[in-house]
Amino acid sequence: MRIPKLLQAVLVLVFVYYGFIVVFDYILGAVIPRSLLTMYMFFATAGVFMVFTFDEQGAHELVAPIKAMVEQPRFRFIRNLVFLIIPIAVGYNVYGRTLPSFEAPVELRTIHPAPPSTAKIYGNRVNLLTLENPFRHTQTDDPELFAEYVAEGAEVYIMNCQYCHGDKLDGKGPFAEGLNPTPLNFQDIGTIAQLQESYLFWRITTGGPGLPQEAAPWISSMPVWQDFLSVDEVWKVILFLYDYTGHEPRSWGEADAGH
Amino acid sequence: MLDIRVLKALALTFFLSFTAGALLAQEGDLDRGEEIYIKRCLQCHGEDGDGLGPAAERLNPPPRDFSLGLYKFVTSGFDADMPNDGDMIRMITDGMPGTAMPGWGDMLSEQDILDVLVYIKYFAELEDEPETQTDFGVQVASSPESIAAGRVLFEENDRCTECHGAEGRGDGIKRLRDDNGDRTWPRNLTKPWTFRASNDPRDIFARISIGIPTTQMPSFADPASNKSLTIEERWNVANYVASLAKTEEVVNPANFVVQGTRAEGALPTTPDDEIWASLKSSTFMMVPQIVGGERFFTTANDTITVRALYDDAKVAIHLEWDDRTKSIPGDAKAASIADAELYEDAVAIQLPREIPTGMEKPYFLMGDGTDPVNLWRWSSGSTDKPESAGIVDAMGIEDQQPRGDSGDFQATGSFLNGTWRVVMTRSLRTSAPETDLQFEEGRFVPISFFAWDGSNSETGTGHSMTTWYWLQLKPAPSMKPIFYGALAGLLMFLVLIWWGAKGAARGRKARDDAA
Repeated sequence: MRIPKLLQAVLVLVFVYYGFIVVFDYILGAVIPRSLLTMYMFFATAGVFMVFTFDEQGAHELVAPIKAMVEQPRFRFIRNLVFLIIPIAVGYNVYGRTLPSFEAPVELRTIHPAPPSTAKIYGNRVNLLTLENPFRHTQTDDPELFAEYVAEGAEVYIMNCQYCHGDKLDGKGPFAEGLNPTPLNFQDIGTIAQLQESYLFWRITTGGPGLPQEAAPWISSMPVWQDFLSVDEVWKVILFLYDYTGHEPRSWGEADAGH
Repeated sequence: MLDIRVLKALALTFFLSFTAGALLAQEGDLDRGEEIYIKRCLQCHGEDGDGLGPAAERLNPPPRDFSLGLYKFVTSGFDADMPNDGDMIRMITDGMPGTAMPGWGDMLSEQDILDVLVYIKYFAELEDEPETQTDFGVQVASSPESIAAGRVLFEENDRCTECHGAEGRGDGIKRLRDDNGDRTWPRNLTKPWTFRASNDPRDIFARISIGIPTTQMPSFADPASNKSLTIEERWNVANYVASLAKTEEVVNPANFVVQGTRAEGALPTTPDDEIWASLKSSTFMMVPQIVGGERFFTTANDTITVRALYDDAKVAIHLEWDDRTKSIPGDAKAASIADAELYEDAVAIQLPREIPTGMEKPYFLMGDGTDPVNLWRWSSGSTDKPESAGIVDAMGIEDQQPRGDSGDFQATGSFLNGTWRVVMTRSLRTSAPETDLQFEEGRFVPISFFAWDGSNSETGTGHSMTTWYWLQLKPAPSMKPIFYGALAGLLMFLVLIWWGAKGAARGRKARDDAA
């Protein structure tokens, strides 16, 4: 049996609606804000309408059941039912929207914003595209020295970073629950493993206030570490972050890896 | 090169040759334990296990000194001089809530933990088993009778109240030190999330029976003590202590909003007014200010509870937080308890200068040059001057300008049994909208909180703080939504009737034409 076009359209939209909810709430783990869902559904409805009314016959087929409902006496009961349900639904929706909301405003922010090509760090303009960890080469050149640097980085970390990012680098330090946004979990494959060392250097030295607008610099509690740590301490703590978690910093290209 | 590592290795060989038998009985591997210790533990507990890792000074409580072999949260007998392995395994696996010690159970395997356990015990050359064990007897289930009996024992002869205070908030104001000379504070028994073990009556029973080794918490099982208790009595006290846990004024991680209620009568002006307790409260976690200026890593206040009321003219915000000490500079008693310098206790509310229209808020730590904030500040006063209140204009943590004239802003506080309560009031609208926040019913206003414990030498930029939350002056219920809903429904109905009538007419015409 062929499904009527109108029912097809409705089914597609219902599928899209629950699709968004499943993808956001369950797969991505972030409840989709109502305003965003409304916007997505507006575009989805417009799209479905365009596809279904692509030719004249399609448009006819789509509206045929509606036409039949209002024009043919044998559908009178259904018509009366629909004419009651729609006003009630509209009225209830308006009622819901005029009720005062006690839900806190939703705040969306970019967690890993694109870095600028240059940044002012320790009073100098630094090119983040070419910046490299000056101690990284010891990993292959002088493993003993490298281990020493990592140990020095560990000391910097434990004195300054563990309060929020945690002894285990899992973002669950003793102060973490009091912060919003919560500190990053470096063990997670989605954080430092995806970033270059120069990116970490930029994020650590310029802290929350150094973030671009889309990352909401006003709420990040990451301190501006260039006020507290030396350049070397920052590079060594970066060595430690990768060493402890077992992640490798991302490099500009495979050809550059190992340098 | 005869460095400490070589010495340690020599000592180890020596030790091993004599105690191989004892060690073989253990399942842990010393070498693997050392490896794990160096990677996971050394930074805090130190190379020599003495608790003097680099961060020791910035941690409260400080990391454990393993070289003494004494542990706080144990189940061996009060007169034993070492813990059970199980006690140490639990501390490593679950960590210590309220401290920097995390639970390692999700990162280290059971074998890893056994290995590191052997290494940690080696620092104090702990061998064999504890000579005595704590007798838990028959557990007395919690009941109103048991709790009431426990309360009597808790207060009798100042047995527990001496340190833990009349209501258990740790405000028994005594200057306590542990065996290392480090300052310790009696536990606030109403905050079970800070208990290093747990507030399960069995854990509390263990603390009461054994005491907390290396601290001034004594054993109440020790027959030599003139305050000792029988097993049944200790279960009653444990049940009473467990019953002290706060239930309402606890942090709810899903709540970001302080809901201001429209007052039905006059706004209360005192912090002890009964109406406050009847309002919905929001409790937020406070953390040390370690972001800017002179940082302070070991602040004392860890939560703050907020309530708000408003009427046509004013808003009143009620702040409540537990503080073991009423810090009044100049007061001899307060000075005798304070750690070093004694300052006033203080609290502040941070608000933006205007309600943000977009997402952007002022910088969470006292604003900045482009987005200044208002701080509503109260401090407890000293023997020379009464409590004081005023508004501070801040453009960053190191740029704070107290106002000469704070308009009709007022704040007053009261201290009772280890809790400060402060109420702050101000007009909803002022004559200076360019510098003062103007409140609007229903709008969400960013709000955050700062607190200073003067007896913990917190002053200036050394304080605890929260991140941004929201304050909403909740509008009183009205008929408006019902009216608009009914109106929209009616309009829709009329449109449909009109459309339906036209459609029906078209249908008739089509049928007539066909006929």
